Amino acid sequence: MTTRSTRSPRRRTVVALAVVLAVLGGFIVRLVDIQVVNADEHVADSLDIAFRGSQVLYGTRGQIVDETGQTLAGSVLLYDCQLDPLLVSQIDEAIEDGTSKATPWSEVSEDVAAITEQTPDDVRAIVTDALADDPGSRFAYLKKRVGTEEYRALAELGAPYIVCLQNPARAYPDGAVAGNLVGFVGSDGAPLEGLEKAYDDCLTATNGSLAYERGKDGVVIPGTQREQPATDGGTLELTINRDLQWYLQQLIGEQAQDMRAERGAILVVETATGKIRAAAEYPTVDPNDPTALGEDVRGSSIFEGTFEPGSTFKALTAATVLDAGGQTPDSTIIASSLETFANGARVRDSFQHPAYTYTLTGVLIDSSNAGIAKFSERASAQTRYDYFQRFGIGGGSSVGFPGEESGQIHPVEEWGAQTTYNTAFGQGLTTTMPELAGAYAAIANDGMRMPLSIVESCTGDDGAVVEPELPAPVPVISAATSKQMRAMLENVLLQAPYAKAVEIPGYRVAGKTGTGEKADLVNGGYKAGVYYTTMVGFAPADDPEYVVVVTLDEPKKVTSSAANATAFQRAMTQVLKTYRVMPATTAPELLPKFG
Amino acid sequence: MSAISNALAPAVAPDRRRPPDRRLRAVEAPARRRRPKLLYGVVAVLGAFLIAAAQMSLSIMTTQGSYELSALAKEQRALTYERQILYDDVAGLSSPQYLAANAAALGMVIDESPSYLRLSDGALLGAGEVSLGSSSVDAIGRGAVPNALITDTPLVTAPGATIEGKPVEAPVTVTEDGGVLNTPPPITDGLPTPSTH
Repeated sequence: MTTRSTRSPRRRTVVALAVVLAVLGGFIVRLVDIQVVNADEHVADSLDIAFRGSQVLYGTRGQIVDETGQTLAGSVLLYDCQLDPLLVSQIDEAIEDGTSKATPWSEVSEDVAAITEQTPDDVRAIVTDALADDPGSRFAYLKKRVGTEEYRALAELGAPYIVCLQNPARAYPDGAVAGNLVGFVGSDGAPLEGLEKAYDDCLTATNGSLAYERGKDGVVIPGTQREQPATDGGTLELTINRDLQWYLQQLIGEQAQDMRAERGAILVVETATGKIRAAAEYPTVDPNDPTALGEDVRGSSIFEGTFEPGSTFKALTAATVLDAGGQTPDSTIIASSLETFANGARVRDSFQHPAYTYTLTGVLIDSSNAGIAKFSERASAQTRYDYFQRFGIGGGSSVGFPGEESGQIHPVEEWGAQTTYNTAFGQGLTTTMPELAGAYAAIANDGMRMPLSIVESCTGDDGAVVEPELPAPVPVISAATSKQMRAMLENVLLQAPYAKAVEIPGYRVAGKTGTGEKADLVNGGYKAGVYYTTMVGFAPADDPEYVVVVTLDEPKKVTSSAANATAFQRAMTQVLKTYRVMPATTAPELLPKFG
Repeated sequence: MSAISNALAPAVAPDRRRPPDRRLRAVEAPARRRRPKLLYGVVAVLGAFLIAAAQMSLSIMTTQGSYELSALAKEQRALTYERQILYDDVAGLSSPQYLAANAAALGMVIDESPSYLRLSDGALLGAGEVSLGSSSVDAIGRGAVPNALITDTPLVTAPGATIEGKPVEAPVTVTEDGGVLNTPPPITDGLPTPSTH
């Protein structure tokens, strides 16, 4: 085969070069394959082998704090401790054989039981049960969610078959204070209720990781550490004041018990900003022990409950006829305790009286259904409906609380003869406490309804502050109407039969009561003899700063709204004290009740 | 082959080309090789040693540092545990219901409407009424705001009560001879006194 051409030195060089290049090409292909195409896989393999030491860096779930920065919900570490039943039995066998000098399980279990506050028999049963189920069992929970002190005590026993793993958990240092708002998380850390659930995006943390090579003695080899830092959750600041919240929860708890009511609630709103300063209710869940009061008591009935308001809506009707019906506080109608209207509707007052010449103020003071029904004719049904809408009735609130309900007003076309008049005094429609507070805050705040809010801001781990987006304020009534309404509502609390009970010495307070009927869900119609009672008001009457709503569900000792008077007076006093609102320097002007 | 053909070729014309230059010439005497300076060598070797030594000492220092780091990390972990234990111990003690129950146990009341003294002109704002001494809420007798963290924690001001007002059960200790001991712990350092400033 040796031809002239192959023997030529030049040809030989070419062939040799080709061979060398081919081999080189092969290497390059393989190199690219390893370094580029399958690089990730190989890097992962190498890290698996090299970085045997690694750990999860737990991020901390963010805090929920009140307006003064006090912690309402914080994160703590608990531990889930587990046993290795197989190892327990193996070590015991080794001790019997004389090859191990470890302490036998029978003795260790006594120490363990003393630490975990179980009985030694229970602890031993965990191991024997696990081995009975599966002789090769290597896992059985000793106790879940133990505290750091117990965990350290267990670790100091030095038993190789006890392992405790971190379980980040929540602690609520103030217990049931604002428990209805804050909500709680499940044992797996998943948010289940309240703001914990609604603002999970703000609060949740991202875990990081730490990988390193370790020397034989466990020391990290310098330069081998790779850290993916954890990101802590943001801090959620509420508009709630926790001391005020506690006082009001204690107060409404006592009041609900005294009046033998099913529930009670107090809502406090700052009129100028729409910020909710307290939302207290009874009963309230203690997020540290959410199952203590049963399934019904988990969330917040303030946001989740709707009710027929009753007479508190007379103020909204009065504001409407002042603003759009050309009326004044001194305008009069003639009303007796039972009035029959042209369309056949009949309206009855809660007390017997002859035909009075009521002023609009007088109608509110005596809470006359017939009177306000007559006044409601001074504005069209459509106008009244529009004003209800602008007052925010039926529109829910801008709080966005999980499970929040909104009231219901039927469209004007569906109002029958009776409903046309009933809506004037708060029947035939429903509302919620935030809606009612928002409407009264609008009356108090020169006619401007501020959107309600309960969250001040979320401050992220990086310091970025995010404030919730709120709808624009809604102008409802004119400033002049607002002033007239404030004077009229102040006269209600000055001249009503319960005036003495709601008086706050030194201050000027305005407000209105309401007794709503409750639908009987079993038999239909209304429940007999039990009501949903409300008292709503604001102070100082001449320059309002805070609106307070107090509700009781089915009070039985006093069934009317007078049941709320004491709680309202004390709640308002505490609000004025908490925010250092100065006593009045002017005297109220008394308005005539009869024309 | 070519040499033969050249030899046979007739000399047609005289070769006018210049005779080629002499290709061979005497080789110049090689320059005497200078002796390499010893100093450079020494500097190079020393430099290499220096670098090696510096690297080694740095490495020793980082290793030493990592041991220190490890010891400090261990200490930090121990302190973290201690902090957690202490945090668990005091959890709930700052809550308003605990504070209020303690204050109520001392006989403090939450009074009704406030009065303010204006310093600029000495005017009294508010009703300025005498307190009747009754509290608007009963924080200790009718605690309505539970807190599972401190349900069993005795009040500081009334060791016999909790936020729920119930008496705390004294711990029951079984003595060696089987009897039940239910007495306060013995005082070894004299009567405890509150520290005041």
